[in-house]
Amino acid sequence: MSSRADLLQGSLDLLILKTLALEPLHGWAVSKRIQLLSRDVLEVNQGSLYPALYRLRDRGMIDSDWGQSESGRRVKVYALTAKGRAALKREQEGWRLFSDAVEAILATG
Amino acid sequence: MSGWRWLVRRLQVLFAKDSVEREMDEELRFHLDMEIRHLVESGLEPAEARRRALVSFGGIERHKEQVRDVRGARIADDLVQDARVALRSFVRQPGFVLTALATLGIGIGGSVAMFSVLDASLFRSLPYPQSSELVLGRVTRSGQVGWVVSGRDYLDYRVETQSFSGLAAITPFGLSRTVQGSGDAHRVRSMFVSPEVFSTLGVPPLLGRDFTASDGSAGAPLVAMLEHGYWERWHEADPGVVGKKVSVNGTPVTVVGVLPPGFRIVQDADVFIVFREDDQWATARQFHNFLLVGRLARGTALDDAQAEFDVISRRLEEAYPETNADKGVLLTPLRDALVEDYRGVLGMLFAAVGLVLLIACGNVAGLLLARGSTRRAEMSIRSALGAGQGRLARQLLTENALLALGAGIVGVALAMWLQRGIVGFVAMDRLGRVEPGLSSATLAFASLLCLGTVALFGALPAWRVARNSRAATLSSGLRSTAGRSSAAFRRVLVIGQVALTVVLLAGSGLLLRSFAALRSVDPGFDSERLMTAEVMIPRDTYPDAESTVRFFAEFSERLSEIPGVTDVALVSLLPIRDPGNNVRVAKPEAFASSGAIDAYQRVVWPGYFEAMGIRLVAGRDVARTDDQANAPVIVLSEQTARSVFGEEDPIGRLVGVDVGREEPEIREVVGVVGDLVTSSLESGVSGAMYYPFHQRPARAMRLAVRTAGETSAPAAAVRSALRDVDPGVPLSAVATMEEVISASVADRRSVTAVIGLFSFVAILLAVVGVYGVLAYQVARRQHEIGVRMALGASVGEVAGGVLRSGLRLAGIGLGLGIPTALAATSLIRSRLYGVGTVDLPTYAAVAVFVLAVSVVACLIPARRAARVDPVAAFRSE
Repeated sequence: MSSRADLLQGSLDLLILKTLALEPLHGWAVSKRIQLLSRDVLEVNQGSLYPALYRLRDRGMIDSDWGQSESGRRVKVYALTAKGRAALKREQEGWRLFSDAVEAILATG
Repeated sequence: MSGWRWLVRRLQVLFAKDSVEREMDEELRFHLDMEIRHLVESGLEPAEARRRALVSFGGIERHKEQVRDVRGARIADDLVQDARVALRSFVRQPGFVLTALATLGIGIGGSVAMFSVLDASLFRSLPYPQSSELVLGRVTRSGQVGWVVSGRDYLDYRVETQSFSGLAAITPFGLSRTVQGSGDAHRVRSMFVSPEVFSTLGVPPLLGRDFTASDGSAGAPLVAMLEHGYWERWHEADPGVVGKKVSVNGTPVTVVGVLPPGFRIVQDADVFIVFREDDQWATARQFHNFLLVGRLARGTALDDAQAEFDVISRRLEEAYPETNADKGVLLTPLRDALVEDYRGVLGMLFAAVGLVLLIACGNVAGLLLARGSTRRAEMSIRSALGAGQGRLARQLLTENALLALGAGIVGVALAMWLQRGIVGFVAMDRLGRVEPGLSSATLAFASLLCLGTVALFGALPAWRVARNSRAATLSSGLRSTAGRSSAAFRRVLVIGQVALTVVLLAGSGLLLRSFAALRSVDPGFDSERLMTAEVMIPRDTYPDAESTVRFFAEFSERLSEIPGVTDVALVSLLPIRDPGNNVRVAKPEAFASSGAIDAYQRVVWPGYFEAMGIRLVAGRDVARTDDQANAPVIVLSEQTARSVFGEEDPIGRLVGVDVGREEPEIREVVGVVGDLVTSSLESGVSGAMYYPFHQRPARAMRLAVRTAGETSAPAAAVRSALRDVDPGVPLSAVATMEEVISASVADRRSVTAVIGLFSFVAILLAVVGVYGVLAYQVARRQHEIGVRMALGASVGEVAGGVLRSGLRLAGIGLGLGIPTALAATSLIRSRLYGVGTVDLPTYAAVAVFVLAVSVVACLIPARRAARVDPVAAFRSE
């Protein structure tokens, strides 16, 4: 597990928003996409994923609808809303600012 | 997401829980299946893949719980659970629950009862259709607002105004009249009105016809409308009474209709009689006898109507400078005008009851804090087992909300009972009976009050206890330092309670002193063992002066023959009982200029002053020889004599008195007597003048009979004396002078009593608060007290310490309360009599009382502290 980083609090929301910005996905696909894009560094636990999805939906960042999975099963698909897109942009900038700052500090070592 | 969709979703979560739950289940299962498929695709056996997936997934239920948690579905579940836990803990501590319910119940009950009275009297609209259009016109003279308007002025306003769809005149109270020709002769309260009164108020008669304009024209036959209750009582609800003629004070009057039940304007009345334009008593310009009630024409603003009235007033002033100089009419919405006088009293009572509620909240908050500290162990355990801080606070708030709900129920029940008392206490005769029962507005107020009290007494303790639970006090044993801040907070609460109590006590003390000062006012006559009553003889039996004089001569003779009767007084109007009217009086040469002053006028039977114990200052009493054959004479009171003649000797001088004619009536002053309190004790003595009965015979007279030794009034003997003279004349309104005086201050007495009661409840609650803090402190410090006693502290020192800390609380409370009281009581300055707001004796008494009561509150805890056994205290460690 040492090769895998724990998610910083709050960053999961950012990752979900970013993942959904590309295309609407169901929950499992969101977790796999994050794992894939992070080259297996980040693994999203279901225990965090679904609460985060429901929370984002309740805040109006994402919306859900019933769709078909690849295997033809009924599945809930999440998509980014306009509000979510705006939030993503904002959070992204914030994150960059933060990570640059951390990087700068670490670089002084 | 819009607020609307958010709300829908929340509600879905709460109410359509099953379908949401199913969706969640489906989604999580899909996730698990995908995981298994993924593992199978990567080369695992299906069974192994399933096992691995399940292990990494954990229980579906657990995830669902987590999802639910973020989404608030838990709130409803938790609420039920919290309520269950709360009820369980209440059952374990019945003492606490009962104390809290009783304390809060009293506070809420009092407030709700007061509110219901305010609601019924001040907030609710009057019982007439479109009552917001109704306006009361009151006379203003040089800026001073009075109640009654001149009948002649009224007739002029009625002709000229365009602003009203109806403008009516009504006598402000029911005048007592004798009705004959329908059953036994009996007295009724009759109001004299202009014909448009019922159409203006919007109340058509139940039977018969309404008055018409011609009923009020000069020389029209007299017509009357009967009040519904009177019609039922005296005419057995007989519809045949309409059209019948009855005799009112010997004058024939035709009944034209009966009013619907419940009709009332300003005061109770049995009969409404139309006055006519040529009735001299009603329509002389200088006599002010009527309330003016109007209904604004549709679309007319009050300001426009007022502007129009001002113009008419100026025109009248130009035409009649003698009577109408600087006179006008002030228009006010009827409801506002009627509640004006009660607003202050009710506001004061409401404020007092609010203070009691605050003190009650303080007590319960103190109780909760004490309970919170004993529950710290429980909270720590629950916190350690994973209950969140918010969750714990929520649990406590639920308990408090349940308490408030219970107290609300207790309070509303109490309010229904208290309400009658308050309505009885504060006489609001202008508004009529306040019907008992709680309106929806009152119930809404009660619910708000409950919510408010939860916030007041519950939120802070809940927050504190929940926060303290975090300090992991499990290991620190049962006594902990974390309790110290909550004990400090309780002390602050108690200090606040004492301060508020001081405010109430000071207010109540000042009102009590005012009342005592008022009762000790010397009325100027001897009011002891005096029975008073009213006699009115009918015009048809006693048509002239001679027969009237003969009746009263015989009657007074019979009265003085009653065994035990020492004095008999006959007068047209008795002091305090019936104030009557002012008329103008001056030296004859000064009458026309502005030299005239106002004085109350009375007609007296010879011997009146001596019988009443009124001082004769100079000259003589009126005599039987002061009759119409001799020169007109008059007796003045000291104040009137001084105002008219200054330092000159008035005896033998002439005065001019206004008798409603162009020229004043000239009379010779033969005597000067002491001044009397004429209307109310508050207004003090006022000037008066007395005509001899034999020169101005009156058919309506009051009698005052004094008995020796015995206090019981010989009402039956007086009645039989009257029957002997003429069985057709009724005796009415029998009351002792003491009762009359007592009734005249009844309002003040009841308000003083109610505020006193509130103060009593307040001090009781505050004492319980002080006691609670000390008892708790002693219980917590047993160990320390034990150590100190083991080290040689005496019992007295230990008990003294408790006493000192109790008195310190009371002292600080007093220190804060007295300045607050000084500021707060200035609001009731207008209700005080003979005492200022800064009244040293009152404040000294309050301080001594509060300290004394605090000492009592300290006694039990101090004794308990003194009895601490050092050995036992150590063992309990």
